[in-house]
Amino acid sequence: MRYVLRRLALYAVAAWAAVTLGFVLPRLMPGDPATTLLARLRGKLSPAALASMRDALGFADGSLVHQYVVYWRHLLHGDLGLSVAYFPVPVGEVIGTGLGWTVALAGGAVLVSFAAGTLLGVVAAWRRGGVLDSALPPLLALLGAVPYFWLAMVALFAFGYALHWFPLGHAYSLDRAPAWNVAFAADVARHAALPALTLVVATLGGWMLGMRNTMVALLDADFIKLARAKGLPPRQIMLRYAARNALLPSITGFGMALGFVLSGSLLTEIVFSYPGLGYLLVEAVRNQDYALMQGLFLLITLAVLAANFLVDVTYVWLDPRTRAHA
Amino acid sequence: MRSRWRTLLDDRRALVGATLLAGFALMALVGPLLVGDRLRALDLPLQPPSWQHLLGTTGQGQDVLAQTIVGARATLGIGLLVGVLVTLLGVVVGIGAGYAGGRTDDAASVVTNVFLVIPGLPLAIVIAAYLPPGPWRLALVLTLAGWAWCARVFRAETLSLRQKDFVAAARLAGERHWRIIAVEILPNMASLVAASFIGTTVYAIGAEVGLEFLGLGDLGAVTWGTNLYWASNDSALLTGAWWTFVPTGACVALVGFSLTLVSFALDELGNPRLRRHARRRRVPPIGWRAALMAQSLVSVRDLWVRHPGSDAPAVDHVSFDICDGEIFGLAGESGSGKSTIGHALLRLLPEDSEVRGELRVAGADVMRLEGEALRRWRWRDAAVVFQSAMSALNPVLTVGAQFADTLAAHGIAGRGEARRRAMEGLARVGVAPDAVDAWPHQLSGGMRQRVAIALALALEPRLLVLDEPTTALDVVVQRQILEELLALQRARGFAILFITHDLPLLASVATRIGILRDGHLVEVAPTERLRRAPRHPYTRALLESFPPLPPIERPTQKVLP
Repeated sequence: MRYVLRRLALYAVAAWAAVTLGFVLPRLMPGDPATTLLARLRGKLSPAALASMRDALGFADGSLVHQYVVYWRHLLHGDLGLSVAYFPVPVGEVIGTGLGWTVALAGGAVLVSFAAGTLLGVVAAWRRGGVLDSALPPLLALLGAVPYFWLAMVALFAFGYALHWFPLGHAYSLDRAPAWNVAFAADVARHAALPALTLVVATLGGWMLGMRNTMVALLDADFIKLARAKGLPPRQIMLRYAARNALLPSITGFGMALGFVLSGSLLTEIVFSYPGLGYLLVEAVRNQDYALMQGLFLLITLAVLAANFLVDVTYVWLDPRTRAHA
Repeated sequence: MRSRWRTLLDDRRALVGATLLAGFALMALVGPLLVGDRLRALDLPLQPPSWQHLLGTTGQGQDVLAQTIVGARATLGIGLLVGVLVTLLGVVVGIGAGYAGGRTDDAASVVTNVFLVIPGLPLAIVIAAYLPPGPWRLALVLTLAGWAWCARVFRAETLSLRQKDFVAAARLAGERHWRIIAVEILPNMASLVAASFIGTTVYAIGAEVGLEFLGLGDLGAVTWGTNLYWASNDSALLTGAWWTFVPTGACVALVGFSLTLVSFALDELGNPRLRRHARRRRVPPIGWRAALMAQSLVSVRDLWVRHPGSDAPAVDHVSFDICDGEIFGLAGESGSGKSTIGHALLRLLPEDSEVRGELRVAGADVMRLEGEALRRWRWRDAAVVFQSAMSALNPVLTVGAQFADTLAAHGIAGRGEARRRAMEGLARVGVAPDAVDAWPHQLSGGMRQRVAIALALALEPRLLVLDEPTTALDVVVQRQILEELLALQRARGFAILFITHDLPLLASVATRIGILRDGHLVEVAPTERLRRAPRHPYTRALLESFPPLPPIERPTQKVLP
């Protein structure tokens, strides 16, 4: 329990740091931040847009502390400002349109990849020197060195453009209206298939190698030797004794890699013109839409923190040593 | 040290990786000088590969091959720079915090963890958006986003090194802190730092390319990332101009791959267990003497064992017998091969060890058992108790579950019956029956060892192998457990193979003792005779090396069978 509370405290601090970063960064630019910032955008925005952006970034009159308080107040009311790229839609709403798609795609892909990779790692370690152990690691190392989004480009070109097996992008066909029926769901699945596959293939190697290495180190442990000596069936030893213990550092690694994997998936979305947060991010950068950028940063950070917390809870559930003693 | 270099280069993977890296380094250093002109010459855009333009032209009409070669310098340069900066920062913060401890460590840890947990790319984007564009923007942003991982890894290693004796010794000698860090701690972390540096560089190159792809790089410069940005901008995918992005990405992948290969080789250098050893098939000889073997419980003839990686055998033609119900002690120094003999008896040696000779336990030709027959034979006639019960019990299963697994593996008992038998077994070794629901870490060292003994006796074996069973315990608990064990032995009549370096201990419990030295059994004799009149000079030396204690009047005299 104490472990969980400590992690929660860390995430609270991290969330606060992310929010404060959004406040501090615009003010780090040389010169008077408000003027410089707005000077950049003066030609592109209406006075109303400029005013709303000033508000969103907390450029009110008054001392720095006062501005900080105003900034927090806006945040707690869910007011992230107005988007420049999609003016006059509020940033919150803009983000809302992309959130679901990203969570579904990245979340689903990451879970499938972790599960498959971990299982493969267990088998590879158990059959040391076998085909899985010698052929796959270098191949997967090569795949892991490939930037996700480049792999996406290649996949899109090969399977979409050249072979016509998959559609060329977006979340669903542009001539369909979204509806809650099987046909639409199938369409969405077809469009999500290639991006999801790309993500799974790109990240699989990391989980597999990690699990394999942990298992190999574990196979020398005394309790594995004892389990063998007791005549337990090999599969039971592999799963209940070795893998169950190797899973613990693997899950810790999963938590640490979540942010990284999410970043990669954002770039992949861009390649596929998938209407998720990644696409919004690129639009924000292109249009120098600071409010949207900061809003996205905040949301993505909070999402990763929440996911990390879930991972921590899972870890506590799996490892009896972290629970309070009876 | 020289042999380490040889191992590194011998490894084919490291060789491939190093060669690839050398190629790219050459490209980065010399490339722009050679093909700079070609890059500036513009031709028709989006031409497929031809003899004029080996990799085709881009959307602006530039030669793709030239663009790729020239781009290497900036990309690799920034990647390397970030790698160095992140590793440096990680060393300073990680080692500094780990060494200093206390409040400094707490504060640094909070900062490190916060940076770790905030996702890198969004952070990098937000920071980069506010900075003025330029060549340093990317390096700065990537360093800020990536330093935390290295710091955390180095801190953990420093914490564990700080506990070690040689650091304490240096402190006592009055060495200054920075000197201790530079001379004692850093060199021991060398391979970790090297591996982290490589990992960071791979990350840096990938992240750099990603950010440039988003348009946050220096758009006027020629780098691999901006090449991809322009390719994507010029709708390469939708016009089928695959040559504008495939070569660049392939280069990024190859650089990362070669760095990873070198890192693998470094890994295996530090952790030999990751190396793969060729499997050797055991060829047990046909024992024509089999029919003539005495009807002893355990019969060992000419046991010969060699571990991979060493020239000399660990066990060199050892032969002995153990009779039903006797306590046979095997004594010797560390490395004499006693544990190996115990493991061989139970077929617990690793796959790639060479084993020859004949082994019979309760009539079964142990060496010939394989597969399912071997598995079924295990634990029934011979069981083992290892030295450290904490590592011998599965940390994530309760005691009861581990009992149930053992019984179920041999077809005995459903859940309820297994639980009942577990509680009985625990009671017999003096452990409270409700420990059946406890996890190993909740029990004391002595309790865990008793649980291990109960597990070993679960199937009523005829032979119990004890491999240094009490060395890890304090003397009082050691005595208690031994007495309980002997009581059980008297009650049940199983034989014991007692492996230890503690000769006086053996002298007080064993019937017969064998002295092992460098894999040879130099003497085997009944305990009394060995004590009074040792024949081999080594036995004598061993006996004499234990300081004699005056006999203590004990209330209960043990009578040796």
